Amino acid sequence: MTIILLWASPAVATALAILVRPYRRSVGEASVGLAALSLLASLWLAAQALSGTVTPATATDVSRVDSLSALLAVCITFVSLVASALGPGLGADRDGNPILFRRLRLARSAAAPELEAADDEDDPAQSRRFRIFQNAFALTMIVAVTANNVALMWVAIEATTIVSAIAIPFERSKASVEASWKYLLICSVGIALAFAGTVLAYSDFVSTAGHLPDALNWNILRNAAPSLHPELMKLAFAFIVIGYGTKAGLAPMHTWLPDAHSEAPATVSAMMSGVLLAVGMYAIARWKAVVDAAVAPAFTNALLITIGLLSVAIGAFSLVIQRHYKRMLAYSSVEHMGLVSIGLALGPLGTFAALLHLVNHAVAKSMSFLLAGRILRRYDTTELARVSGLLAAMPWTGPLFAAGILTLVGLPPFGIFISEFLLLKAAVMTDHVWIAAAVLVLLLTAFISLVHHLNGMLYGPVPAGVRIGESRGWAVMALGGCAIVLLVLGLLLPPPVAALLDRSIVELVR
Amino acid sequence: MIEMLLVVGQTLAGVALAPGLVGSIRWTKARLQGRRGAPLWQPYAELRKLFAKERVVSHNASWLFHAAPFVVFGTAVAVLSLVPVVFVPTGFDSIGDLFAVVYLLLLGTFFLALAGLDTGSPFGGMGASREMTVVALTEPTVALSIFALALTAQSTNLGEIIRQTVAEPARALGPGHLLAFAALFIVTLAETGRLPVDNPTTHLELTMIHEAMVLEYSGPYLALVEWGAALKLLIFFAIAANLFLPWGVAFTPSPVALVAGFALFVVKIGALGVAVAVLETRVAKLRLFRVPELLSASFVMALLAVLSTFLVR
Amino acid sequence: MDGLFSQLVVLGSSGMLLTAIIILWRRGVPAYISAYRWQSWLLAALTACVGYFGSDAGLYGGAIALVLLKGLGIPYLLRSMERRFGAQHELRPYVNTETSLLAAGVLVLFAYALARPWMAVSALPTRAGLPLAMGLLFVSLFIIVSRKKAITQVIGFLMLENAIALLAVVGTYGVPLLVEFGVFLDALMGFLVMQIFVYQIHETFDTMDVEQLTRLKH
Repeated sequence: MTIILLWASPAVATALAILVRPYRRSVGEASVGLAALSLLASLWLAAQALSGTVTPATATDVSRVDSLSALLAVCITFVSLVASALGPGLGADRDGNPILFRRLRLARSAAAPELEAADDEDDPAQSRRFRIFQNAFALTMIVAVTANNVALMWVAIEATTIVSAIAIPFERSKASVEASWKYLLICSVGIALAFAGTVLAYSDFVSTAGHLPDALNWNILRNAAPSLHPELMKLAFAFIVIGYGTKAGLAPMHTWLPDAHSEAPATVSAMMSGVLLAVGMYAIARWKAVVDAAVAPAFTNALLITIGLLSVAIGAFSLVIQRHYKRMLAYSSVEHMGLVSIGLALGPLGTFAALLHLVNHAVAKSMSFLLAGRILRRYDTTELARVSGLLAAMPWTGPLFAAGILTLVGLPPFGIFISEFLLLKAAVMTDHVWIAAAVLVLLLTAFISLVHHLNGMLYGPVPAGVRIGESRGWAVMALGGCAIVLLVLGLLLPPPVAALLDRSIVELVR
Repeated sequence: MIEMLLVVGQTLAGVALAPGLVGSIRWTKARLQGRRGAPLWQPYAELRKLFAKERVVSHNASWLFHAAPFVVFGTAVAVLSLVPVVFVPTGFDSIGDLFAVVYLLLLGTFFLALAGLDTGSPFGGMGASREMTVVALTEPTVALSIFALALTAQSTNLGEIIRQTVAEPARALGPGHLLAFAALFIVTLAETGRLPVDNPTTHLELTMIHEAMVLEYSGPYLALVEWGAALKLLIFFAIAANLFLPWGVAFTPSPVALVAGFALFVVKIGALGVAVAVLETRVAKLRLFRVPELLSASFVMALLAVLSTFLVR
Repeated sequence: MDGLFSQLVVLGSSGMLLTAIIILWRRGVPAYISAYRWQSWLLAALTACVGYFGSDAGLYGGAIALVLLKGLGIPYLLRSMERRFGAQHELRPYVNTETSLLAAGVLVLFAYALARPWMAVSALPTRAGLPLAMGLLFVSLFIIVSRKKAITQVIGFLMLENAIALLAVVGTYGVPLLVEFGVFLDALMGFLVMQIFVYQIHETFDTMDVEQLTRLKH
């Protein structure tokens, strides 16, 4: 069964990384291969979802892959694949370009000097740890979006916190220890609150329907929702939003986000910022569907809009005073998750915009973080003031990074423009014109700040000691591929994606 | 008529017993510490000695200084008549009210603090300010912990509370009761100047709270103040014993009930006295700035007691 | 029987809340570890009690697991951690003792207000413990926020988990067994990772004072 393949690939990769000591490059290559396999599995599931079937057919199974789950699974596996391919342990040159199938390349281009000179710079112990935790991370996220039981989803999301927290401090510096401690503590507290909300909803269900064995399955909960007590479900939803909102980086629970995402290595940041936040929002979206069936949507909408606006505001204003480019990207994530939260509260069109935004953001943010990792390796600083002349120093990374930032500020022809436009349209259509105006102003603030910072990085003289030029490694190709995906999503929303989104709306907002 | 006589009688009995209670606590402590200890009637001998002595009054003292011992003693006796010691009167019951008890006690403490300030001696002022710190935290706790009981009994009348608790014994195990009892016990230690808040046997002025306020008193005034303090101890013990473990309190003026009630009362306050003595032997005095922490904890316990009885019906 | 069951549940839940308040009151970490141990034992006793009165045998297993994991295992690990770092005292927490205690009282009041709709809806005899469980939740959150030593924050988090377990027990007589198992596993893993991080903090910063963790600002 495809789901078993989807779950098994990262599991096998993790086990392989744990068991093989000392670390060998083949483990890294196997890891990349298995990540590609899980991407294929999720694409297959997406195709099945498109044809209307929900996998599996019965409503009482452990896993349940409808179109929303399939869409997010595709995002997760895609980002994991890219992160896996660009991770340590594959033999990399000084730019961090992995040398996949090194012997093959050496055989083909025997006189390529830059390849000869390249050393495998990566510490084997670190590479092993990375492979273990990256694959475990991918596994937990995939389980979270494909689980039917909301408690299993909770367990998986808690596991993501634990696994990613270990992955952050790869060099044991003061800043990274501080960041991971904050991350671990704040997210664990948030997740515990989300569990309190789950228990609340479960107790309500039990009091009306009795102790059913599959009581915590999402579709069963949703079908029983109209008979649940409104007051209790409101309280439960408040806990859920605060709890999973902590994981999703919504303000005011976002304080761990800039620290964790800026201190983690680039590949881990890419996965966390790109898809882990999306998983948090996915959990909120699923619960919203349940609670909306029990209570009039006005309450959940108001709560999500409030928190969303606060996140967008805090994200946008924090971008103005930024001095480090990785933290800049992190605050941009807070802002975008705020937009997704607002979108979920604006009816079917808004939900469409929100989900499309999640997909676009996943690709754009992970690409940006990976590029930031390359910049860090070259310039050896995280400060915006000390990075300049990017276009001259790194002729491929520079333009790609610019493309990433321009995507994130919402410029056409990239995909985020479409989702933001649809969001504003949805706001106006549902009589929330003031919200649309506020969001526009805040987006403008973010636009100005980000483009200003980008200008500073791209132009100007190259600082002394920074090597100019870059080798055309697989990494750049992969990241270029991401940029092309963003262009495609922006210029012509491919019909399969649109259809998946439409079906997801139907699932959520029945 | 009989009830009035009985109330007067139990008040007089309490007044007579109070120094004996102090003596028994001292004797128990001495025995626990391996000494022989003065006999139980030593405080009576001290009172007799003090009444015979001359009173020495500072030139700076005003009428407050002369009035305070009488106020202290008088309010203590008044409160003792309100608290059901052996017998719960049904006649003029409406005066036996929680708030009357709390505020009469506070009146006595207030006058004592003023008298400490009155002579202008530095130790008196120091004692008065420390006492006010302690009292500021204990008075709401006393009120709250008895209020927790009053809520379940639907009345602030002490006699009524006792009657209701006897009628429903299961309530005595409830968390509200236990928390209120714990809070009241801590407050007893604080208000009567016992360890760990205040050491009653210290002779170092800088460690005193209650003793520092009465440092200037001598002769009969000192006797009245000491007797008042002993009465306060008896009152708190009586409240703790009779409100929380009310079995044995007589409701009818029959001789059997009265004798049994008296005997059980002596047993209960004896037990409480032994508990206090053991605690005083085991525990060291708290530093002064830690005392508010202890009292805040007891306040929170009383608050929780009220919450658990009020909001869970 | 119902009355006795209700009383026992309220007694146990109040005991658990009091152990959390002890953390706001005392200053030494050994006292905190003992408080946590008492709380876990009370939780296990409560779970067994609910299993007996509610005729649910699965809860006995849950109680045994609680005793093993949270009553014995985690306090042992905490104590070895504490011994390794020497005497830690919360000398000047972010909020001082008296204010903390008063804040705890206010939080319990808030929890009562929040739990009212739930208590009105629930028909179980254990419903009197619901506001106490929520109060414990908020007091644990307050402990995490107002204390400075990393190890105290860890203990606060452990108490938060106990609070939610109590909520599950008195609200719904416990969650399904598989969920319980997953939650336990997560709790254990979470604690082990936190332990690793406390060691890392101590090694990198030479102190467990979370106030020193201020390098990352804006």
